Amino acid sequence: MSDEIDNKQSIQAQSSETMNQYSGSAAADIDYVRPAEIPEQDLYHGHSFITKWVFCQDAKVIGVQYFLTAVFTGVVGLILSWLMRLQLGFPGLAGFMTAEHYYQFVTMHGMIMVVYFLTALFLGGFGNYLIPLMVGARDMVFPYVNMISFWMFFIAVAVLMASFFVPGGPTGSGWTLYPPQAILEGTPGSGMGILLMLVSLSLFVIGFTMGGLNYLITILQARTRGMTLMRMPLTVWGIFTATVLAMLAFPALLVSSIMMTLDKVLGTSFFMPTILKAGEVLEYGGGSPILFQHLFWFFGHPEVYIVALPAFGIVSDLISVHARKNIFGYRMMVWAIVGIGALSFFVWAHHMYVSGMNPWFGFFFATTTLIIAVPTAMKVYNWIITLWRGNIRINTVMLWCLGFIVTFVNGGITGIFLGNVSVDVPLSDTYFVVAHFHMVMGIAPLMVIMGAVYHWFPLVAGRMLHEGLGKWHFWITFLGAYSIYFPMHYLGFIGVPRRYFEMYDSPYMTSAIGMNEFISLAAFIVGAAQFILIFNIIKTLKTGKPAGKNPWKANSLEWHTSTVPPEHGNFGDRLPVVHRWPYDFSVPGAKEDFIPQTTPPSEVVHTEVEKT
Amino acid sequence: MNSFIKKIFSTLSQKPWEAEQAAIDTEHTGQTFNLSNQMSAVIIIFGISSVLFSLIFTGYLYSLPPEQDTTLILRTNLLWINTLVLIFVTYFFDKIRKDFNKKITNKIKQNLIFVGALSYLFLVLQLLLWYQLMISGNYVSTNTYFSSFYFFTALHGIHLLGGLFFWGKVTSKIFKLQEKDYAKEEKNINVLSVYWLFLFIVWFVFFAIMFVYNDAVIAFCKSLIS
Repeated sequence: MSDEIDNKQSIQAQSSETMNQYSGSAAADIDYVRPAEIPEQDLYHGHSFITKWVFCQDAKVIGVQYFLTAVFTGVVGLILSWLMRLQLGFPGLAGFMTAEHYYQFVTMHGMIMVVYFLTALFLGGFGNYLIPLMVGARDMVFPYVNMISFWMFFIAVAVLMASFFVPGGPTGSGWTLYPPQAILEGTPGSGMGILLMLVSLSLFVIGFTMGGLNYLITILQARTRGMTLMRMPLTVWGIFTATVLAMLAFPALLVSSIMMTLDKVLGTSFFMPTILKAGEVLEYGGGSPILFQHLFWFFGHPEVYIVALPAFGIVSDLISVHARKNIFGYRMMVWAIVGIGALSFFVWAHHMYVSGMNPWFGFFFATTTLIIAVPTAMKVYNWIITLWRGNIRINTVMLWCLGFIVTFVNGGITGIFLGNVSVDVPLSDTYFVVAHFHMVMGIAPLMVIMGAVYHWFPLVAGRMLHEGLGKWHFWITFLGAYSIYFPMHYLGFIGVPRRYFEMYDSPYMTSAIGMNEFISLAAFIVGAAQFILIFNIIKTLKTGKPAGKNPWKANSLEWHTSTVPPEHGNFGDRLPVVHRWPYDFSVPGAKEDFIPQTTPPSEVVHTEVEKT
Repeated sequence: MNSFIKKIFSTLSQKPWEAEQAAIDTEHTGQTFNLSNQMSAVIIIFGISSVLFSLIFTGYLYSLPPEQDTTLILRTNLLWINTLVLIFVTYFFDKIRKDFNKKITNKIKQNLIFVGALSYLFLVLQLLLWYQLMISGNYVSTNTYFSSFYFFTALHGIHLLGGLFFWGKVTSKIFKLQEKDYAKEEKNINVLSVYWLFLFIVWFVFFAIMFVYNDAVIAFCKSLIS
C-alpha cells in the first residue's frame, strides 16, 4: 500500500493491540461482547398480499413504497420540466401552453421535485430501507406508525396530483407560494389549486413527522451491541441530521400552510395586508406577507440540507467502498454534517435580500451563509483525499460519485456569489439563480441517488444492474446536465429574467434564443436518458446476474444479513454484534481488502490500520 | 444540560478506529439514552411542538395590530379559570406518577378520572371562551390578534385531544388490571404525565406573553432602547 509508505504514522489495529494486551490469552477475551440488554422486538409479519406488500410494517417494504411513489412524482416533475423547456426553447410550439399553464407547471415542478421527490426519496426511501439494516436493528421502533407515515405521504401525493384536475388547475403562484398573490384571484389556481397544495403539504409534514420519529429513535435507541454513534456509517449520520433538521424546519411549513389556508378559507389576514383591488378595498388587512417569507424560508433553507446531508453521507460511503479506502477524516465528516445542519438555521434570509431588510441583517445573513462553505469544503476535501491513491474502481457507482463532487463544487461556488447581498440583488431574479440551485440541489443530489441505486440495488433485488447501460446513463446525464446549466449561468449574467413565460420583443430574446433552444434540446435528452435506468431495472429483474452476498465487498451491516435480499427482521435468529467501524478497507496484513463490522478481533490479529 | 452537552462533545470526539476506543465501543449496549422508546418519542414531539408554538408566538408578536387592546382577552374570567383547571390537571397527573414511584396504588384510578374530567372541562371552557368572544363580535377574521388567539388555542386543544386519546387507552387498561399489576402501565403513565406538563408549560408561556406583551411593556421597552 502506497499510503503506508507516505503516511509514516500507522498504528496497530484495534484487534492486534487488544491481543497484545492480553498477550496470548484466550481468543474469547478479545472477542468479548456484553450480553444483549435491549429486549428483542416483536414484529408483525404480514401473511396476506395486503399486509405484506400494501399495508406492510417492514421498513424495507415501506422504503421501497416511498421510493416508487417518489419516483412517480419525479417523473411527473420531469414531464412538467419538458413542457416548460418546450415553451422556453420553442415558444408557441406547444399550442395548448398559455402563460397560466406555464406558471402552474413551474410551481408544480418546483414543489414536486424539492419536497415530494428529493426529500421523500432520501429520507423516506433510503432512510427506511437503510437505517435498521445499517444500525443492526430488526425494524424501526414503531413499525405501525412508520406504515401510517407512508400512507400519509401517499395521500399527500394523491391530493397534490388531484389539483391538476380541479377547476382552475393547480396553483401557479411559484413554488414559494408567496402571499398575497397565491390566494387572490388573477393567479392561476388561486381557488382549489392552492388549497389542495396547502392541504397536501400539511399532510406531508404530519406524515413525515411520524416517519422522522422512527428514524431518530431507531438510530439513537435501537442500535445493535457494539454499534456506537461514532461507529455508524456516514449515511446514517447524514439521514439522522437531516431528520433532525426536518423535525425542526417542517413545523414552519406546517404553520404557514395552515395560516394561509385560514386566510383563504376563513378570511383571516395572517399574511394579507390591506389590498386595493379595482378600486375596491378587500376585507383583508393588517397581516404581513413578509412574515410568510420568513416562515417559508425558515423551512426552505434547511430543506436544502435536508436533501444534501443524506446525499453527503451516502456519497461518503460509496466513495469509501469503491475506492477501497477508509473515509478520510471520519470525525471531521461527522462534525461537518452536524455543523452544516446547525448553521442551516441561521441563513434563511439570504433568500429574501430583494424583499428588503436592515443592512445589518443582510450583513449577518451573508456572513453565516459564507461560513457554511467551511464545513462543506471540508467534506469536499475529504472526499478527494479519500480517493487519493485509493484502489479506485471506475464502475457506474464511482462515476456517479465523481460526477456529484464536480457538480456540487460547481453549484457551491455560485452559491458563494449569491450569498453576498450586493451580488445577489442584480442576479436574484435571473437564470443564474435557476442554474445555481439546480446544480447544487437538483443535479448533485440526483447523482448521489443514482449512485446509491446502482450500489444498493443488488441488496434490494438480489441482482446486479447492467454496468454498460449504467455508464451510458451516467455519461448522457452528466454531459447533458452541464449542457443545460452551464449556458444557463450565462443567460443569468446577461440578465435574462426567470419566471417569464416568453420574452416578447425584448433584446434578451434575440440574444438568448439560440442558447434557449440548445438548453431545451439538452433537457429533452437528459430527461429521456433517465428511462435507461428504468429499462435497466426491468431487464435486471428478469435476466440480471445474481448478486450473491456482498458483491461490493463492503463492511457495513446491511451487506451481512442472513439472506439477500434481507427478510423481515433482517438478521435471522441473532442480531449482529459490531466489533469495528465500517471503513476498514485495504488494511495492511488482512487477507482481504475489507474487514466487515461483524468480524471479531481474533480473526484479524495481524492487521494494521492507518492513522487518519 | 451541562452533562448532556459534555456527552455530545465527548461522543463526537471519539476515534472509533483506535484500539483503546474500540475496546470501549465493543462494550456498548447500542442505546444512547437510558429512556424508553415512548419517552424518547414524547421528548422529540416536545421539540417539534415547541418550534410549532414558538413560530405562532413569533407570528403573533410580529403582526399585532397597533390599535388592539392586548389585555382584552385577559379580562374575561374564563381564561384565568382555564389556566387554573390546567394547573389542577398537571398536579393530578404528577401525583399519579409519584404514587406509581412510591407503589401507592389505591388512588390511581380516581386521579386518572380527575385528569380526564378536568381536561375535558378545560376543552369545554375553551369552547365557551370562543363563544363569548364571538358574541362580543371578535371572530377569527376580526384582526390578526384574534386570528392568532383562535389559532393557538385550537392547536393547543388538538394537542390535548391527542393526549386524551392515549389517556383513554391507558386508563381503560388500568381499569381492567388488578391493583398489583398497575406497574405494567407505569412507563405509559410517566410519558403521559410529562406530556401534560409540556402542554401546561406551552399554555403558561402563551398566557405570560398575552399578559406581559401589552402596550405598557412595549412602551417600557422602547424607553429602554431610546
